[in-house]
Amino acid sequence: MTATLLTDELVLETLRQVIDPEIGCNIVDLGLIYRYAFKAGKLTVTMTLTTPGCPMHDSIAEGVKNILLTLDGVNEVEVEVVWDPPWHPSMMTETGRTMAGVRSF
Amino acid sequence: MMEAILPKSAVIESKPAPQKLVRSAATPNLAGMQAAAVRLPLCFVLTGVLSLLVSGAVLLVQPDLLAMYHYTPHFIAVTHLFVLGFICSIIMGAMYQLVPVTLETQLFSNTLVLFQFVAHVIGFVGMVWAFWNFNMAMVGVFGSVLTLGVGLFILNLACTLAKVKRWNTIKFGITSALIWLSATVAAGLFVTASNFWTSIAFQLLAAMHAHAHIGVIGVFVMMIVTVSYKLVPMFTLSELQSERRAWCSVALINVGLVGIFITVLFQEPFKPLFALVTISGFILYGWEMVAILHARNRRVLDWGMKYFLTSIGLLVPLAILALALTWSGLPVNAVTMQLESVYGLLGLFGLVGFAILGMLYKIVPFLVWFHSYSRHIGRAKVPALPDMYSVPLQVAGYWSFLAGLVGLSVATVWSHAAGIRWGGGLLMLSLAIFALNMGKMLTHFVRPKVEPFAKKPNLLEKTL
Repeated sequence: MTATLLTDELVLETLRQVIDPEIGCNIVDLGLIYRYAFKAGKLTVTMTLTTPGCPMHDSIAEGVKNILLTLDGVNEVEVEVVWDPPWHPSMMTETGRTMAGVRSF
Repeated sequence: MMEAILPKSAVIESKPAPQKLVRSAATPNLAGMQAAAVRLPLCFVLTGVLSLLVSGAVLLVQPDLLAMYHYTPHFIAVTHLFVLGFICSIIMGAMYQLVPVTLETQLFSNTLVLFQFVAHVIGFVGMVWAFWNFNMAMVGVFGSVLTLGVGLFILNLACTLAKVKRWNTIKFGITSALIWLSATVAAGLFVTASNFWTSIAFQLLAAMHAHAHIGVIGVFVMMIVTVSYKLVPMFTLSELQSERRAWCSVALINVGLVGIFITVLFQEPFKPLFALVTISGFILYGWEMVAILHARNRRVLDWGMKYFLTSIGLLVPLAILALALTWSGLPVNAVTMQLESVYGLLGLFGLVGFAILGMLYKIVPFLVWFHSYSRHIGRAKVPALPDMYSVPLQVAGYWSFLAGLVGLSVATVWSHAAGIRWGGGLLMLSLAIFALNMGKMLTHFVRPKVEPFAKKPNLLEKTL
């Protein structure tokens, strides 16, 4: 039997493949992923979007679910989109800021 | 159990786990729902682009239309093709997409959108044909079909607005634009009907000018002003700096426009006063835009934004022209009459047309992306929106449009047919470039470019 070792690095690197198509940056470096927890095959992700009413809302959240379900050992993914705390460009990583042309803080 | 909190920012770590405004993601039939919601706005947009190309081609073939006074059947026909076919189609399609986004709600009905689209196309095509042949009876018939469509548009958006309980600048602005749209259509039908009346209390030309002002400023410019209060901060990663200033700008434009309508219609001497009130609304709007841009986090403005902001900059020459044309001491001669045409040209082609082209570089890639890629996200590598068109072509389109607009305006003042042909030619070049870029975007609609994700062997090591 084979199984993938689920590490923080693996989860984040996997999530980096989901991009915000308007900004052209992945959701991890954008700072949209607030937290995640893994327990008994279920991965729960708490995330936000750049603006409330974002038309990409369902697509991006669905994308997070799809990509995480490709990981071995993950049988179920729950994505919660929250608006508190609201997203701000200061939450972006330095890489994300460079990719999106956002000023440093 | 594995748990992580990201990113390592003080803002996140200082907050407890979020308790409110949580929404679970997941809609199993997402792709189907999205496709239906996206296809109709896209139909409006394509109708608009086609109308734009046809109206540009007519001007290229008949440049003398701009070299003479603007109250001729063919000029009115082309104006309505441009206004109803291009501007209205795009604005309506965009509103169906943007109003839910800006007000953070769902559109009331997609079925009404379909019925409105059919009525809109039959109505405006018929009206253009009737104006071209100066058959005012048929203008009335097709105008009524168009009115039915406008009624459905207003009903759909009014019901969408009603779902939003809190009044803010955006709701105020969109409500204002819908009221002005009703007034514009009513005034248009009134002007058409008055052709058959024996005595009326105003001049037909004055009524036509009043009708045009509430349509262009009250509907188109009001929509542009309102949605930009949400979209400019969204695209530049900034925030509205003063809700009060934004609200006042919309209120002043409304008050000024009521006065303009009455004074233009009855040719009263207070036109400059109300022009000043409207202009003060635009000054507040410009002030707020500068403040939003000054506070932006995204340093580089993309070319779609540059198109849009340049169009807003055209408010300056337009305001100067408006004040000059309302001045009672202005001599009535050929140049003055041509200045009126330039005023209309800069307002419609310049301010509204350029703003719409800028918006289209945001709206069309989004609609196509939504249709073609939303179901693939997280399953395969999908392009970002700017990857769907050519930026160098976009830049070429920007400069040719600007050069064409300036050339056309100068040539129109002096009724210089060759200059009008050159200016019109540059504008057509810009529109051809835009059409080419539209084609590039639409290839993603027909043939989506989906690639498999790259494997990362170092991270996907298997353990026994």
